[in-house]
Amino acid sequence: MAGKKASGSAVVRHELKENLQAGDTILEMKNIVKKFDGVTAVDGVSFSMKKGEIVAIIGPSGSGKSTLLRSINGLENITDGEIDLYGTTGMVFQHFNLFPHMTCLGNITYAPIKVNGVKKADIEKRAEELLELVGLVDKRDVYPGQISGGQKQRIAIARALAMDPDLMLFDEPTSALDPEITGTVLSVMQKLAEQDMSMIIVTHEMQFARNVADRVLFMNKGKIVEEGTPEEIFGNPKSERLRDFLKAVTSR
Amino acid sequence: MISDFISSFITEFTDLMDYVGILMPTLLAGAWVMVQLFCWTLLLSLPLGLPIALGSNVRFWPIRAFCRFYVFVFRGTPLLLQLYFFYFLLPIQFDIRLPALTTSIITFVLNYAAYFAEIYRGGINGIDRGQYEAAKALGLSKMQTMVGIVLPQTMKIILPPVSNEAIVLVKDTALASAIGLGELMKASKGAVNRDVDPTAYFVVAVIYLMFTFILTLASNRLEKRFKRYDERAVS
Ligand SMILES: Nc1ncnc2c1ncn2[C@@H]1O[C@H](COP(=O)(O)OP(=O)(O)O)[C@@H](O)[C@H]1O
Ligand SMILES: [Mg+2]
Repeated sequence: MAGKKASGSAVVRHELKENLQAGDTILEMKNIVKKFDGVTAVDGVSFSMKKGEIVAIIGPSGSGKSTLLRSINGLENITDGEIDLYGTTGMVFQHFNLFPHMTCLGNITYAPIKVNGVKKADIEKRAEELLELVGLVDKRDVYPGQISGGQKQRIAIARALAMDPDLMLFDEPTSALDPEITGTVLSVMQKLAEQDMSMIIVTHEMQFARNVADRVLFMNKGKIVEEGTPEEIFGNPKSERLRDFLKAVTSR
Repeated sequence: MISDFISSFITEFTDLMDYVGILMPTLLAGAWVMVQLFCWTLLLSLPLGLPIALGSNVRFWPIRAFCRFYVFVFRGTPLLLQLYFFYFLLPIQFDIRLPALTTSIITFVLNYAAYFAEIYRGGINGIDRGQYEAAKALGLSKMQTMVGIVLPQTMKIILPPVSNEAIVLVKDTALASAIGLGELMKASKGAVNRDVDPTAYFVVAVIYLMFTFILTLASNRLEKRFKRYDERAVS
């Protein structure tokens, strides 16, 4: 089933709910361009991924990683190109963006109730499973202002998962956290990986990318400069730019 | 000697209390008018400010221009001038004759809605962009985002300036005496002029203070309620 093509425009987004099998294409991006008056943040990026795949995007800051990720779920309107998305997305932000006026449970259940019309009792049961998954059952009735950054991010993951997304988008989920607590968030993401969740992860955690990603994209100046398995990208970088980047991040 | 002083003091004090007792019915009637003006103004201008605030931010420019012009005019001219304006405009231009209280309420509502709109707008603009993004990423509609995410958080931000305006409103009600509304100010002025005795002004000052004091207490309580989800832990 193909989505309608908007006439005269190269920008097409399909959000098709299908019963995808592992191995089916879940996302295809063709020649994505995003310009912010004057600045070209994404400059002709094409890539596709299969259901169950885990893609890590690395690259220096300002290279267009966030913009690319945000164009997938419509937070940015692309200037040109085509996005075929077969399913729904959930997103996890660098700064969590939890709703401070709701308890952790409220954060998780609000969208399913309002958007999907799920019954409160049903979603609360599901929310408790999700709290279990992220290891924060005891924070159920606590407000986000009363928990640590790492806990906030895990609640944010649970909140995104409550909408049963087909594809999870992570935009530097651990960058705002103290180094000693990033592990708690990464281990939740590790669990998702083991459950074959499709994920795109923008990250500076090279070790994590190496361990969980099926594929790594290296972006620079709005373009994908190099793409490959973690072994290829980290073990045998071809471009000078990637070698320099890896040297810079590992020496930090 | 001392007993003379005490007895004369007691006489003077009881005289004073008698006089205040005589004043009281007039002043309380004035206070009742003031309370009506105050309550109606708050009751109507608090909600009216919201569409004006939202309208000031919409993309459709005619609505945006109208709302901003409205705020510009009502905040940019004296309330007293607006009172005179409506007091004369309505009967002369439109042949609408209204009691002074109604005219005062209309003017105060239009004026305070402009102030509240600006407070709301500031509050709404103070909400982090990430909140809108999270809502959008979760599939919430614009309406759901506004009602469920943005406005509840705005409440906490706007509460202090809104209660401040409410206290200003208590004092602003005195302006309505200029168009003949028999509120506290007018009642006390009448008594002072008649008796050539400033006591009524003291009594009225105490009444105003009582109102602002009650409002301060109420707003402190409200603020405390909204504080419950304050950021306490560090990330
Ligand atoms: N909303 C925006 N308005 C203008 N420029 C932007 C905006 N968002 C991103 N940019 C610019 O686009 C480029 C890519 O940004 P971004 O996608 O955030 O990079 P990264 O996530 O890789 O650090 C940068 O030059 C940035 O300044
Ligand atoms: Mg970024």
